[in-house]
Amino acid sequence: MHKLQTEVLVIGGGATGTGVVWDAALRGFKTILVERRDLTHGTTGRFHGLLHSGGRYAVKDPHGAEECIRENQILRKTHAHCIEDTSGFFVVTPEDEGDDYPEKFVAGCNAVGIPCSEIPVAEALRREPLLNPRISRVFEVPDGSADGFLAAHATVNAARVAGAQIMTYHEVDELIVEERSGERHVVGARVHNVVTGEHIVIYADIIVNAAGAWSGKLAAMAGAEVVILPSKGTMVAMNHRLVNTVINRCKMPSDGDILVPSHTVCIIGTTSVTVPNPEPLRIEPWEVQKMLDEGEKIVPGFSKARVLRAWAGVRPLFQETYTGGGRDVTRKLALLDHSQREGIKGFLTITGGKWTTFRLMAEATVDTICEHLGTQRPCTTATTPVPGAEQGNYWVGHRLHDVEEQRLQGDLICECELVTRTMLENAVQRNPALTLDDLRRDVRLGKGPCQGGFCTYRAVGILNEMESAGNWNHDMLDESADTMQWNAAHLQSPAHNLTRDVTAGNGKGHSAESPTVFNPNLLLRDFLQERWKGVTPVLWGRQLKQERLDELIYLSLMNIDHLPDDELASPVTDFYNFDTTPGPFEPEPKKVG
Amino acid sequence: MLDLVVIGAGLSGLMAAYTAAQSGLTVRVINKGLGSMHWGAGTVDVLGYAPDAPEKPVQHPFTALANLVVQYPDHPYGLLSSDEIRAGLASFVALTEEIGLPYRGSAESDQNLFLPSPAGAARPVYLAPEAQSAGDLSRSEPMLIVGFKGMRDFFPDLIVQNLAKQGHQARSAFLPLSLVTDRIDANTVHLAEALDDLERRTRLGHELKKLVKIGERIGLPAILGMNDHSVVIADLERLSGVPVFEIPTLPPSVPGIRLYKALRSRLLELGVRIEAGMEVVSAEMTARHNGTPGSIQSVISATSARPYKHRAHNYLLATGGILGGGFNSDHTGHVWETIFDLPLTVPQDRSMWFASGFLSPTGHPIFHGGVVVNDVFQPVDGGKLIFSNLWVAGNILANADPILERSLEGSAIVTGIAAGKAIANL
Repeated sequence: MHKLQTEVLVIGGGATGTGVVWDAALRGFKTILVERRDLTHGTTGRFHGLLHSGGRYAVKDPHGAEECIRENQILRKTHAHCIEDTSGFFVVTPEDEGDDYPEKFVAGCNAVGIPCSEIPVAEALRREPLLNPRISRVFEVPDGSADGFLAAHATVNAARVAGAQIMTYHEVDELIVEERSGERHVVGARVHNVVTGEHIVIYADIIVNAAGAWSGKLAAMAGAEVVILPSKGTMVAMNHRLVNTVINRCKMPSDGDILVPSHTVCIIGTTSVTVPNPEPLRIEPWEVQKMLDEGEKIVPGFSKARVLRAWAGVRPLFQETYTGGGRDVTRKLALLDHSQREGIKGFLTITGGKWTTFRLMAEATVDTICEHLGTQRPCTTATTPVPGAEQGNYWVGHRLHDVEEQRLQGDLICECELVTRTMLENAVQRNPALTLDDLRRDVRLGKGPCQGGFCTYRAVGILNEMESAGNWNHDMLDESADTMQWNAAHLQSPAHNLTRDVTAGNGKGHSAESPTVFNPNLLLRDFLQERWKGVTPVLWGRQLKQERLDELIYLSLMNIDHLPDDELASPVTDFYNFDTTPGPFEPEPKKVG
Repeated sequence: MLDLVVIGAGLSGLMAAYTAAQSGLTVRVINKGLGSMHWGAGTVDVLGYAPDAPEKPVQHPFTALANLVVQYPDHPYGLLSSDEIRAGLASFVALTEEIGLPYRGSAESDQNLFLPSPAGAARPVYLAPEAQSAGDLSRSEPMLIVGFKGMRDFFPDLIVQNLAKQGHQARSAFLPLSLVTDRIDANTVHLAEALDDLERRTRLGHELKKLVKIGERIGLPAILGMNDHSVVIADLERLSGVPVFEIPTLPPSVPGIRLYKALRSRLLELGVRIEAGMEVVSAEMTARHNGTPGSIQSVISATSARPYKHRAHNYLLATGGILGGGFNSDHTGHVWETIFDLPLTVPQDRSMWFASGFLSPTGHPIFHGGVVVNDVFQPVDGGKLIFSNLWVAGNILANADPILERSLEGSAIVTGIAAGKAIANL
């Protein structure tokens, strides 16, 4: 059995875990991150993409608001290329009138230093012509739109450069707990590679539980108690970028009151429903209906616009004691030192929080690690931009600009999202990719209106050619950081995503020692099913017509339902196969508490 | 006043227009966009997979059809006798000969051809353009599948590997795309048009000759000429010395566009006007009343300039269901026929629209529904005629999922012809 020794082991490849591995590596700790699937497969890959200004929490949670605005200003520097500087409006719609919330909001912003200025409604409507003309007041704050996929890769990239080792598709089977002079110590973890089945033992001086909604389950392996209240939030992506500015309703935070422009689409969310398990998540018809109804209040005609996709994520809301109810449980970060809480040494849990504060959560965590390991090493993440940040913010047209500038029209694999062949090849070379879904997170493959109709076949064809030529480096699932340069942060960036650089991998290709599940037919089936999973809750109108065209292509033309190897499955096939088709309409259940 | 206005320029609409015009009717075709011909393989599928045995391809389509209509009497094929279906397909074959784009079937009657798909699966097809028929997987010559480096809609390795897994002998080879085009943004249509050029196809022919071994046949993406297709194929076969065949590509479908263009020219010769870009937005009609069917007085199309009123004695709706845009739907679960609001058998409830998997062998119920017609293809509601002068044909018909069962073109052709005949026989 393979054994590894490290100082810090981080479990979980979401924003929190990637932040911790980055911070720990920058402070010179030998660090390993394990994630059971791809980076951002959990909640980080399923959020709005809102870079909070803090405005949302200005009234209800001033401390949280203050954290947000501080981190907002830091991330704009450290992760500039993962952020679009959209700005944000808090608007008072006719539904929101009649109380003094706007005054409290302004006072709250002022109190914690969130730049906030009221702008004339006419100016807001000039900037956002689709906005409800009946809004009465508009406040502008420095909200932004963030690409959580890119940010995780950029963060991890920075960690790798600093020596960290990232092991995706490695699942923790067991935490190793030893008794030492009457005290319990967590000394390591038994993990297995979900692709190859290989078992690995990782010994670590300290283990960080950053498993998000799954952190209760992980803590239990150490005999610790972490109560997470998984709160499902459903989001709906519209096919068009109906607004260019983040739009918030100026009222107490509630369901469906944020509309975030994200690349070529916009995303409305969310609901807030306590669920027994973080996975799998069904999207109920009332949730979709509610998002459309709420969207209508921000942008009249919203519910008639073409809907692209729906998904749900779970907020890992931490609670000390059960109080019931979802949105009122704290969203503050929770750093749990289990040596203090339960006398379990060498084990920390970091949970709660929000994407905007992931760096701060990591800082607090690694500060505590320093204490435990008896060393003083200052945090430098706030002043150390990750590689790629020098390119500055992305903007909605950056890909189109590059395609036109460099005349890459013939190289487009995904016309919806303007993914070029080179971007795809680079992504495969530079990131461990098991499925096309992993590449979707890297380069936005299949995220557009046709939801994989054209690019699925093309991507599979290209990957198959790379595989035949030995250019798809599967060994990267077992990579060690020092053998290659990581450049994932550049995948979506204006300057670097179009340069052909397929020699960056170690070139070993597929070897007999690294059994893989590479099979083009499986890739095709898995990705089409994965895309189907997210469209079925919102499949009607033009999107339904699009889906039928995809059937014409994949059934009538390709006959992929009668390809060989139909018995093959990947470690995520079952996840994709979860039934997301709408059930009968039932009204929203009443909230507890 | 016209005898017939056909709404929709897919295969069913054009075949209906052709049939009616040949019988001497004055016909106009108006269409919003293009039919599924432009997106598919350009072949004619009659029945590839029977609904009760979706995993096994149909070998003998007419035998299977006979069973199908016994099992599912409401199936659109059930509106026609086996002889009518055969005759319809035969007249389509004759028409393709006439327009210089001959379609071929298996040498044996009542036998599906099996042709390689762009993914390397075996497609059960009843008729194929001559250029695809040499890909017949029952033939023994090994295949050399040739692609173009950088072409994004065709992947020879994928085809070859999957064909090999199914026991077919095939290998792949690549040529530079610059052999065919200088464009940086070439799609399949551009490539096909480029090969209409004598010099380019001659160069290609010489390169193929260098690649091929004696006894092989060459499979290429379906880009072998647009307007001079048959000459391009002949030249490539002569220069390479072996049979050459096309494998369909991702859309746009060059074989489909060739068929559309050829049918369109023939219709123009017959005096049928085809008015593209005209979406029908409303209709003047009277509803069924006191046991008397309603009737259509006109359909009104939107153009960039002004609304346009089309009047005819008869109207044929061939707008192609959900795929063609003949049906629309919304988030409340409502599905409707967009012009005449004809009753549909589609469940008006989103929770009943889909099976759980994209590739569910049962298909999705929403795509199985459509317009119910009587035996002369006139829409009925509870058995009662809705409009005295409205007919429907093609993918809009209820009780079949033509994409799932691979009957899309066959069903469009035979129902289009049958509806055209019914109108001509009035």
